[in-house]
Amino acid sequence: MAERMSALSQHPPSVWRRLDPAAALGRLSESRYWMYLLLVPSAILILAVVLYPTVYGFQLSFRQMRLNRPDLGTGFVGFKHYIAMWSDKVFWLSLRNTAVWVTFAVIIEFSLGLVAALALNRNLPGTKIMGVLILLPFFLPNVVAGHMWALLLDPRLGVINDILVRLGFLETYKAWFADPSTALGAAILVEAWHGFPFFALLLLAGLKGVPDDLYKAASVDGAGPIRQLRLITLPMLRSVIAAAVILRVIGLVNSPDLLLILTGGGPGQSTQVLSLYAFQKAYKDFNFGYAGALSVVMFVLLMLFAWAYVRVSKVNQD
Amino acid sequence: MSTLTLNGVRKSFGALDVLQSIDLELEDGEFLVLLGPSGCGKSTLLNIIAGLETPTSGDIFIGDKRVNDVHPKNRNIAMVFQSYALYPTMPVERNIGFGLEMRGVEPDTRKRAVDGAARMLQVDHLLDRKPGQLSGGQRQRVAMGRAIVREPELFLFDEPLSNLDAKLRAEMRTEIKRLHNRLGTTVVYVTHDQIEAMTLGTRIAVMKGGVIQQLADPMTTYEKPANMFVAGFIGSPSMNFVHGTLAREGDTTTLKTDGKDSTTIRLPRVAANLENLAGRKVVLGVRPESFAANASEPDLTGTIDVVEPTGPDTLVVLALGGQTITARLGPKLTVATGETLGLSIHPDSISLFDPDSGNRIG
Repeated sequence: MAERMSALSQHPPSVWRRLDPAAALGRLSESRYWMYLLLVPSAILILAVVLYPTVYGFQLSFRQMRLNRPDLGTGFVGFKHYIAMWSDKVFWLSLRNTAVWVTFAVIIEFSLGLVAALALNRNLPGTKIMGVLILLPFFLPNVVAGHMWALLLDPRLGVINDILVRLGFLETYKAWFADPSTALGAAILVEAWHGFPFFALLLLAGLKGVPDDLYKAASVDGAGPIRQLRLITLPMLRSVIAAAVILRVIGLVNSPDLLLILTGGGPGQSTQVLSLYAFQKAYKDFNFGYAGALSVVMFVLLMLFAWAYVRVSKVNQD
Repeated sequence: MSTLTLNGVRKSFGALDVLQSIDLELEDGEFLVLLGPSGCGKSTLLNIIAGLETPTSGDIFIGDKRVNDVHPKNRNIAMVFQSYALYPTMPVERNIGFGLEMRGVEPDTRKRAVDGAARMLQVDHLLDRKPGQLSGGQRQRVAMGRAIVREPELFLFDEPLSNLDAKLRAEMRTEIKRLHNRLGTTVVYVTHDQIEAMTLGTRIAVMKGGVIQQLADPMTTYEKPANMFVAGFIGSPSMNFVHGTLAREGDTTTLKTDGKDSTTIRLPRVAANLENLAGRKVVLGVRPESFAANASEPDLTGTIDVVEPTGPDTLVVLALGGQTITARLGPKLTVATGETLGLSIHPDSISLFDPDSGNRIG
């Protein structure tokens, strides 16, 4: 006993160091496992809320799952949903509408965003207030923006109808979302209003990184504003534009909320898009298998788009 | 080639005066260096000459033509920037020829001009590359090629060598001087590097707070600085300043240094106006290389504080009363810290400044 006591008293500092949790953590932080340990929480989170649902969605698309037809069971059905999709007219119409919706919305949002960013980048008096005002639409949730515009464009009470009639552009009030020829166009304009600040914000951040000397050099060389935009501004913003377009396209393809509020896919199927169709298949028809297959198609299309866009925009070249 | 004249050029941003009435006249073929610390207004002045900024008042003439309202592209100038400002998407060939392209020069003529400039600057093997694939020095050469290909009346350089490492900077400095000798174009060159100013300029305008402190050829600026700011800004190590009071002892003029451990420095030069200054408080300015070790008849004696051998010479920091001076002495000096050292002062290299205004008085 006395021997053990003396042995302890001989090495007390190292013993204490081994027991101290802070010191143990310190030693761990200098080991090569530390990096992986730090990644564990985010990896778990991603596995739980991203990877698992994605894999489950894939799996769902190969199974039968109709909540209102429990008699059919939940068995494996192979490519049944994909084959059904091939001859589903609404699917093809939704695909076409999605292409139109995304293309025009992104073009308009990008153009408006670029103009806004170029204007805000000039640092003229009042640009700070203008900057906040321009960002306002983006702060509104889709649901609020949707209801607001539904009211503004209302066929009986809508203030926009009133203005257009007073200005002589329209003879009578128009039900924008009830006419198949105008519904998608009107919805795209609402989306453009709501989404352009996203581009304005990212492009403005990009513009701040373009050296002033380039514009000075171009000015001395004799290049006008349009040439400067084409030869300096847009090439310098290439990676920002690529990131913004990809993010926006993903957002537009995946979120049905604005169209759900404004038109619900109607009139008829004239504003039906893939995300809304998948949503309705799942929560109106309770056909989760088919909705899963639709989601997988959207996923593949988005992957293909992002891959092709990065290749075409040569964003990785320099 | 052309002359450049600035008459009373001012620039204010709100209440802040960046330039205060600048007057300048440049002869044909001159190389003017605008030298000064950050924020002294030198780049603003260059931008005003280029037409990239408008002056609040005053006139700018290139040749006989008043160019205040002339767009930069029509001033027949060429500019080289610190950041090179090469167009990132264009290959070197188009970068160099872009100014000519914008002026509608035929592709054949343009190609000849670009090839000539590229050969002169030794970048002819890089014509197909993009700026991103070039090194700093190569980019700077391309930027200079872009300027000379236009055969402008006036070259404007905005700190063109500041982004290069020391060795490359010295090389490009020589290159710029060679280019100026060869082309003979009038140049305005902005820098905060006094070595560049001394080596390149036919005249130097030292600026501070939007005012030209001194406009003179490099040696005058170095040997007879107009004030203590110029004296301290040009030269490394900078000029020694010793605060004290002038006195006459028989035929010799002396300076009794300020501070509690006051000591006396003999001034070898007896300028006529110095006699009238006896009893006056002054600041003595002596360049480090104007001292020589002299044990027999020293003009001043101090205690060695630090010895710094640099190779070609030895820097000796000397405590002199409560003040310190640095002397640049010969390479094989055998002195040690704590020893007493006697120094003589070269008679032609004494500057005297007014302690209040800082201006040169003799």
